[in-house]
Amino acid sequence: MADLVSYLQFVLAPQVVNGLALGMAVVLVALGLTIIFGLLDVINMSHGEFYAVGAFIALALGWLGLSFWLLLFLVPLLMIPFGVLTERLLIRRVYDGPDRHVTTLLLTFGLSLIIEELLSIVFGPNTQRPATPLRGAVELAGVYMPVYRLFLIGIGVVVILAVAWIVYRTRLGAMVRAAAYDRDMAGSLGVPVSLVYSGTFAFGLMLAGLAGVLLAPIYSVFPTMGRDFILIAFTVVIVGGMGSIWGAVVAGLALTQVQALAALVISPVWTDPIVFGVMVLCLMFRPQGLFGRLGHA
Amino acid sequence: MLTVSGLHTHYGLSHVIQGIDLEARPGEVVGIFGRNGVGKTTLLKTVAGWVKPTAGAVRLGEQALSGLAPDRVAARGVGFVPEDRRIFPGLTVQENIELGLLQHKGASRREERAAVAEIHERFPRLAERRGQLGNTLSGGEQQMLAIARVLVGRPRVVLIDEPSEGLAPMIVAEIFGIIRELKAAGAIVLLVEQNVHEALSVSDRFYVVERGRIVLEGEADSDWARERLMKAIAV
Repeated sequence: MADLVSYLQFVLAPQVVNGLALGMAVVLVALGLTIIFGLLDVINMSHGEFYAVGAFIALALGWLGLSFWLLLFLVPLLMIPFGVLTERLLIRRVYDGPDRHVTTLLLTFGLSLIIEELLSIVFGPNTQRPATPLRGAVELAGVYMPVYRLFLIGIGVVVILAVAWIVYRTRLGAMVRAAAYDRDMAGSLGVPVSLVYSGTFAFGLMLAGLAGVLLAPIYSVFPTMGRDFILIAFTVVIVGGMGSIWGAVVAGLALTQVQALAALVISPVWTDPIVFGVMVLCLMFRPQGLFGRLGHA
Repeated sequence: MLTVSGLHTHYGLSHVIQGIDLEARPGEVVGIFGRNGVGKTTLLKTVAGWVKPTAGAVRLGEQALSGLAPDRVAARGVGFVPEDRRIFPGLTVQENIELGLLQHKGASRREERAAVAEIHERFPRLAERRGQLGNTLSGGEQQMLAIARVLVGRPRVVLIDEPSEGLAPMIVAEIFGIIRELKAAGAIVLLVEQNVHEALSVSDRFYVVERGRIVLEGEADSDWARERLMKAIAV
C-alpha cells in the first residue's frame, strides 16, 4: 500500500503534470494549425518554424534585458506582422490557383526551410536555454510539482478558454466560422473575408509564438526545434479532426498524456511510435478525426 | 438605379455571360427568366461579386460594383439570396441573422438591436428557433433565414435566385409576399425564378436570357410581352 502511494506521489503524479504542461504547449501550436486549416484550407508546414521564431525572439529580447512576463505579451504581438505578410504575400498568391492543397503545402514547406536556415545563420546551430522565470516546486497533497509547469498548465487553460470564447461566443468568431464554411456567402453578408483570412493566419502564428516563449525555458531553443514539435502537433490535428478546435484540445492533452505515461513503463524511444500508431489507427477507422471541422455542424 | 452594361463573364474557357445590358429602378421587381444553364445564376453571382466579370460594368447609382469583392458589394447595399440558400450549418439561427448586420457598416448597437427585433417580429418561426443550428431547420425555414439575414442589413438591392425551388405553396406565397414588401419599401429586386407565373405576379418588368444574352425584355403587365415570354422559355 505504502509502495503504491509513493508510486502515485513521486512517479505517476509528476509525470501527469509534465505531460499536461507539454500538452498545453502542444495544444497551443495545434490550435493555430487547426484554425488555419479550418478557415483557409491550408496545411501550414511552416507552423513549427514560427513556433521556433517565437522562442528565438523571446531569447533575443531576453538578452536585451526584457522580462519574461513582458515577452509573454510582446512576442505574440510581434508574430502578427509575420502572419499578415505570409498570408498576403505568399499564400494569397496561390490560394485561388489549381491544386491549392499541394501548392500551399509546398510553399509553406519551402518557407519552413528558409526560416530554419535563417535562424541557424543568425543565432548559430547550438542549443540555447533561457533562464526559467519561475523556480522551485510547490507541494500539493504530498506531491511536489514544479511551479513553472503548473504556471504553463494554468496559462494553457486560460488561452484555450479565451480562444473557445472568441470563436464560439463572439461575432468575430461567427465571422470566422462563417468564412470557414462558405467564403462567398460570408462575403455577401458583409464579412470582410480577406481581413478575416490574414487576421486568422496571424492569430494562429500568435499562438505558436506564445508556445515558443512558454516552452523555451523547459525544452531549450535551437533552429530545428519546430521540426520535432510540429510532428506531434500534426498528429493532434489529424486525430482531433482537421479544423476542429475542441479536437485539438482533447487530442492534444490525451496524446501527450499517452506519451508521458507510456514513458513510465516502456523505453521513451517507443512513445513516439505509439502516438503515431494512434494517428494511423485514427486515419484507418475515423479519418475525419474525433470532432467536426470549424464552421461545420 | 442598378445598371448592368456590356457584361461578359467566363468560367475558365466557358463564356457564360456574353454581353448583357439591363437596368432596374428603385421600387421595381425585375424578373430574369430563361432555361437552365443559360447564365441567370452567373449573372446574379457576377453582380454580387462572387465571379469577376471579364468585361463590362455593374453600377449602383454612381458607384461601380463590378470587380469588387463580395463584402464591398454588400457594403454598398446589395443583398444576395443564392439558389441553394447557403445557410451556415454550424452557426445558430441568431448568428446567421446577426452576420447580416455586417452589410450595414457603421450602425450603432441600438440600431442593430432594432433591426434584429424587426426581423424576429417579421419571422416569428426564426425567432422561436434562434438558438438552433442552421442545419436543423426545414427547407422552408432555411429559405426564410436566407432572406431574413439579408433583410436585416436593409439592402437597397436584393438579388434572389430561385426562391420557390422545392418549397410548399404556402411558403412560396409568403416569400412572394416579402418580395412585394421589398418593392413597396423602394428596394430594387432582381428575381431569377423558374415559376414564371408566380414571378410575373410580382414583377414590373422582365428579361429573358438565352445562351448568355438578353433575347427579350418587356413589361410584366403587357399581354403581348407575356405571350412572347412564354414562347421564348417553352422547352
